[in-house]
Amino acid sequence: MKHVEHIQKQRPALDTRWRMLKQTREFFWSKGFTEVETPLVVRLPGQEPYLNPIPLVLHNELGKTFAGYLHTSPEYTMKKMLTAGYEKIFFLGKTFRDCESFGGMHNPEFTMIEWYRAHEDMSALMQDVEQLFQSLGYAQSFERLHMRQLWKEYADLNLDTLLTAEALFAACMSKGYHPDADEQYEDLFYRIFLNEIEPRLAEQGPVIVHHYPAQMAALSKISADDPRYAERFEVYIEGVEIANAFTELTNADEQLKRLTEERALRQKLGKDVFEIDPEFIEAVRSMPPAAGVALGFDRLVQVLAGCKDIDDVLVLPASKLFL
Amino acid sequence: MGDTTGIRKGAVIQHQNDLYVVTDFQFVNPGKGSAFTKTKMKSITTGKSIEITYKSGESVEIVQVTRQNMQYLYKSGQFYSFMVQSTYETVELAADVLGEDIKYLKEGLDVIGMFHETTCVAVELPKKIQYMVKVAPPAVKGDSASGNVTKEAEMENGLKVQVPIFIKEGENILVNTETGDYGGRSGE
Repeated sequence: MKHVEHIQKQRPALDTRWRMLKQTREFFWSKGFTEVETPLVVRLPGQEPYLNPIPLVLHNELGKTFAGYLHTSPEYTMKKMLTAGYEKIFFLGKTFRDCESFGGMHNPEFTMIEWYRAHEDMSALMQDVEQLFQSLGYAQSFERLHMRQLWKEYADLNLDTLLTAEALFAACMSKGYHPDADEQYEDLFYRIFLNEIEPRLAEQGPVIVHHYPAQMAALSKISADDPRYAERFEVYIEGVEIANAFTELTNADEQLKRLTEERALRQKLGKDVFEIDPEFIEAVRSMPPAAGVALGFDRLVQVLAGCKDIDDVLVLPASKLFL
Repeated sequence: MGDTTGIRKGAVIQHQNDLYVVTDFQFVNPGKGSAFTKTKMKSITTGKSIEITYKSGESVEIVQVTRQNMQYLYKSGQFYSFMVQSTYETVELAADVLGEDIKYLKEGLDVIGMFHETTCVAVELPKKIQYMVKVAPPAVKGDSASGNVTKEAEMENGLKVQVPIFIKEGENILVNTETGDYGGRSGE
């Protein structure tokens, strides 16, 4: 009866969840978005070096086998849809990531809201995020901060001078960290960010942190006003990251270059390595300017239901199914 | 020495010339950079709490602790007294060493004390502890029809647990100390 007991115990939080699912859908439809479904089982998942897609094997009626993965995000398919002519679309469904904790901040399957706006940049998404929270009954207003401001205020560092791995490595050393000599820019960045800045965000209300160093652009566009930074923002509530957004990169060659680098890093880290989706690269080549954001729905429920552990907002978390 | 996989509650870590006991930790994979383990720990010498975020796989100086069987005796003032079973010595622990675990203590409970040199820095509870149910309101007709398969019961030491409606006062039940959930009737 452990399963039934968990569901009963979490009934109030779960009821909040169902209400929020409905309100979220209503919010996006009322703003002119179309809800879309993308394949959850894909042949070629994303190349993010630190994500582990869950591998699986499919069989057709003749017993022929096909290797695939559960998607880690609907991004590639949604961008293909933008190229095909969709302009305002949202996905509200499950995504999957292996090798993460069962409970706490993670569950191997979790719910994502991901939405895209063609012909817009990330400022339109910031407004969407703020309005979505309002429509769900979240009363606090967001503060928008440039990443550079946070580094100045909380780490007493000028981020403008720390935009290369060498400079950031030196800053980490002088602050008493012990990074590896060949550590990636991103890892060096997070050493300082997670130890000195993120804990301070917990004391603050909801924050939108915008403009990341160009080195951490991932799939985002470099800012036209200041090419040292990328048009990317993250949403933090009580120190927990809840959303990640980009003005999307539309340069296919640059996209291919970044994915090739990420794939090489996957190989170096000993992760599963797969082909870069050529259909995705071709789609990016004729994709309209667009902005997109992924927001962790479970964490959103945690905020509104006041639950510290993701398990508390899931009907049956992996910890109950497998441990 | 060790790495982040050795971080758990009660582990003792050497950090900047001081020893810290891990009070809480959390695995975080932001998906962009590599994964991290956020670690809350308390200094053994000053009692001050700090939060350190380690990169997954990073080396961490985990200090060996010795484990000794202890029995909980009683609370006196601000302290909780335990007896070390091999030496009959009494160890007094402050509330903040025990943290959330205080609610599970009952007289005579066997626990494991983690010692760094002569200082008990943390206590490990059994995974399941047996309690006698002191207060359990009888099930009301219609409870299961309305979906209430559990009710709140109070144990001999004041601990409150959600139990199935068939549990009666005076029965012995097991409670899971990791989750605080009902863990079955004892002997089942």
